[in-house]
Amino acid sequence: MITFNSVSLIYPHSLHTVFEDLSFTIDEGEMVLVIGATGSGKSSLLRLINGLVPHHTGGILAGDISVDGISTSLTKPGGLAHLIGIVGQNPIHGFVTDTVEEELVFGMEALNFAPDVMRKRVEEILDLLSLAHLRARSISTLSGGEQQRVAIGSALVMHPKVLVLDEPTSALDPIAAEEVLSILHRLVHDLGLTVVISEHRLERVIGFADRIIAISADGKTEIDIPEEILKKSPIAPPIVHLARALNLDSVGTSVREVRRMTTHLRDFTPLVSQPRHTYGETVVTINKLSHFYGEKVALREVSLEFKSGEITAVMGRNGAGKSTLFKSIVGFHKSIGGQITVLGTDPTELHGHNRLATIGYIPQEPSDLLIHPSVAKECAASDRDNGLEDGSTFAFLIRLTPTINPDAHPRDLSEGQRLSLVLALILCSGPNVLIMDEPTRGLDYKAKSLLVDTLISYSRNLGKCVLIATHDVELVAEVADRVVFLADGDVVADGSTLDVLLSSPAFAPQVAKVMSPAPWLTVKDALRGIAAATGKDSQE
Amino acid sequence: MKRTFHPLTWWSGAIAISIAVSLTHHTAFNLAVVGGMCFIVYRANRNATDLTPWSGGLWFALKIAVIIIVIRTMIGIAIGVPIPGNTLFELPIANLPDWMAGIRIGGAITAERLTFAFEEGIQIATLICIFAAATSLTSPHRLLRQMPIFIYEFGVALVIATSVLPQLVSSATRIKSAQRMRGIQRRGWAGVALPLLEESLARSLDLAAAMDARGYGYSRHRSRYRREKILPRDLSVIVSSLALIPISMMVFA
Repeated sequence: MITFNSVSLIYPHSLHTVFEDLSFTIDEGEMVLVIGATGSGKSSLLRLINGLVPHHTGGILAGDISVDGISTSLTKPGGLAHLIGIVGQNPIHGFVTDTVEEELVFGMEALNFAPDVMRKRVEEILDLLSLAHLRARSISTLSGGEQQRVAIGSALVMHPKVLVLDEPTSALDPIAAEEVLSILHRLVHDLGLTVVISEHRLERVIGFADRIIAISADGKTEIDIPEEILKKSPIAPPIVHLARALNLDSVGTSVREVRRMTTHLRDFTPLVSQPRHTYGETVVTINKLSHFYGEKVALREVSLEFKSGEITAVMGRNGAGKSTLFKSIVGFHKSIGGQITVLGTDPTELHGHNRLATIGYIPQEPSDLLIHPSVAKECAASDRDNGLEDGSTFAFLIRLTPTINPDAHPRDLSEGQRLSLVLALILCSGPNVLIMDEPTRGLDYKAKSLLVDTLISYSRNLGKCVLIATHDVELVAEVADRVVFLADGDVVADGSTLDVLLSSPAFAPQVAKVMSPAPWLTVKDALRGIAAATGKDSQE
Repeated sequence: MKRTFHPLTWWSGAIAISIAVSLTHHTAFNLAVVGGMCFIVYRANRNATDLTPWSGGLWFALKIAVIIIVIRTMIGIAIGVPIPGNTLFELPIANLPDWMAGIRIGGAITAERLTFAFEEGIQIATLICIFAAATSLTSPHRLLRQMPIFIYEFGVALVIATSVLPQLVSSATRIKSAQRMRGIQRRGWAGVALPLLEESLARSLDLAAAMDARGYGYSRHRSRYRREKILPRDLSVIVSSLALIPISMMVFA
C-alpha cells in the first residue's frame, strides 16, 4: 500500500539529513507503529506519506514514495485527500469549522461530493465512532477524547485507504486512549484500513501493532515485527524492560504473553515490602475548596493536605478538576468557597521573591514561561530574579542535560531539553511546593526518566512537596508516593500509589498487571520483590 | 436538530441597524439598540449547546465599548474645537504654532463639549456592539462557508484568521498568568508577545496543513452538505431591522 524507495530528506537551512536511503513497504491492512526519540523524525515520516512534507514544509526529497500506486512527489496533498486521512498531534489545531457535523463534511464538500453521498457517510461515521449524540455540538466544548474521535471521523469519512495518526493518545486519559485505540484496531480488522501511527507511550499501543518502524537517533531506520525490534530497542514499554530484567527468553508485547512467561515467578507468596519513608510537616492545606465556572462545578468541597517530602499525583479524566485544583493552589484565582493555605499564607497574596521561594509552577505548556532569546539569557534572568549567584541556574541545568547548547533559542530545543530548562529555572529557587501540570506530554522515555530522577531527588533529598497532574500511569507508578483521584470535582480516591493504582484495572501499570496479585508497580519493585521472596540478595 | 437562522440573517440585520444608528445619532436610541442586542444574544446563548468561541463576542465588545467611551471623552475634553456654553472647569491651554489654528489643547471645558464627546463615544461603541452581536449570533465560520471560493489563498487566510483570533485572546491570558505565577512582573506585553506569536504561528501552519491534507481548494467546485434556506423567521428579522431605519428617523431625528 505504501512504498518508500530509497527516500532521503533534508530540510532547508539544516545541516543533516532527516532520513537517508530509507526503503520499506507497508502492506494493506497493516497497523504500523513508528517509534523514535523526540526530534528523530517521526512526524516527518508520517507527513511524507501524504506529501505534506515536502509540499507544505519545504525541504528536498530524494527517492520515491508511492501510496496505492500514486507518487506523492507528483501529487499535492489535496490530491491524496480521498486516499490518505491524517490526524495531527493536536486535533484542535486542525479543526476548520465549529460543529461536529460541519467538521465531518468539510473534506467532502471541498472535494465536491454529492449531497446524498455525504449524508449517508456522515451517518455511517457518527455511528461507527459513537458520535451521534454530539452531532450538533460545538467542537470547542467537547472533551479531549471526543475531539480525537471527531478528528479521526473527519479523516475516515473520506473512505481513505490509509490512516496516519501522530501521537493520537498523548492528550488523553488511559480510558479515552483505550477507546480510540480499540476503534482503530476494529477499523484495521473490519475494513482492511492501513494505519500508520506514532506514539511515545508504547505501553498503550504496542499490543495493537503488526510491525514497528524504529528510527534511531543517528537516522538509521529499521522495520520489523514488534518482538524483534523490542529485543534491543532502548525505547520499549515497561513489560519489555521487565522481560529483559528477568532474563526471559523472548519479549512479549502484551500483558497476557508476559504473564504466561512468568507463571513460575508468581508461585510464591510475595512479601509486601514497599519502602516507607516519613514525610515532613504539612505544606499545603486545602479546606472545603469549591470552584465554579458559571454554572459548571469544577471542584466541590475538596479538602486535602500535602506534606513536604511527598510526591502526589493527581489523576482523573479530562475536565475532572485537576487543573482548577492546581490553579487554586498556585493562586491564579481567589477561591470562591473554602480556603487554601500554603505554608500558612493565602497563595494569592504571595508576590516576588516570596512567591518564587514558596511555589514553583510549571504549566501544561512549559514554553509559556520562556521569554528570552537564548538558553544562557534565560538562565541569567533567572539568577537575577532569584537573587542567585551568576551562573547557578545554568550549573543546575547542566546537571540535568549536559549536552544543552547555551546559545540555542529555547524554541529550538527538543521537548525534553525544554522541560529541563524550565525545571532548572523553577527549581533553582528551591520552592517548597513544585506543581506540574501534565509534565510528560510529548516526552520520550529518556526525557521521562530524567524527569523522574529529578523529581524524586528534589522531593526526597531536599524534602520538598511535589504535585503532578497526569494521565501517565507509568509515571505515577515510578514517582508518586500518593495518588489523589478526582472525578467531576470530587475526590473519589486518596491513598498510597499502590492502593489506588491497584484498585482499578484501567489505571494499573503494565508491570502490576503482569505480576498481579503481587503488589509491584514498576520493574524495580518487581525485581526487589522477587529477590526478597526467593531469598536472594537484592540486585541493588 | 435545533433550528438556526440563515448565516446571513443577523449580519444583514446588523448592517440595517447600523445604518439606522448612523442616521439618527441619538444616544437614547443607541442605548436601546445595545440593550436589545444584549437581550437577543443572552436569549440565544442561554441553554445553547453549540456555543463557539465567538459566542461571547458581545460581552467582550461591551468591555471594549466602555474603554472606547472613556478614551473618546478624554480626548474630547483635552483636544478639539471649543464649544461655547456653561464652563465646568478650565485646563491650561497649550501654546500651538500659528499654522495649527482652530485646534487647541486644553482650555475651558463646557458641559456641552463634555456631552458632545460622550455621545460621540457612545455612537462608536454602539456600532461596535452591533457587529459584535452579529458575530455572537453567527460564527464567522458559518458566514464564510456561504461565500463562494474564488481565490484559494484568500479563503485559507480567512479561515485561519477566524480560527486563530479567538484562541489568541485565551492564549494571551494563559501565558500572562503563567508568567505572573512565576513572578515575572513588569515585563508586560513584551514577554507575552514572543510565546504568543510562536504559538499562533504554529497553529496557523498546523491548520493550513490540515486544510491542505483534507483537499481544501483542490477541486474548483464545492458541494454543499446542507443548503441553508431563508425561512420566514429570517425574513422577519431582516425586515424588522430594515423597518427600524425609517421608524428611528421619525421618532428620534
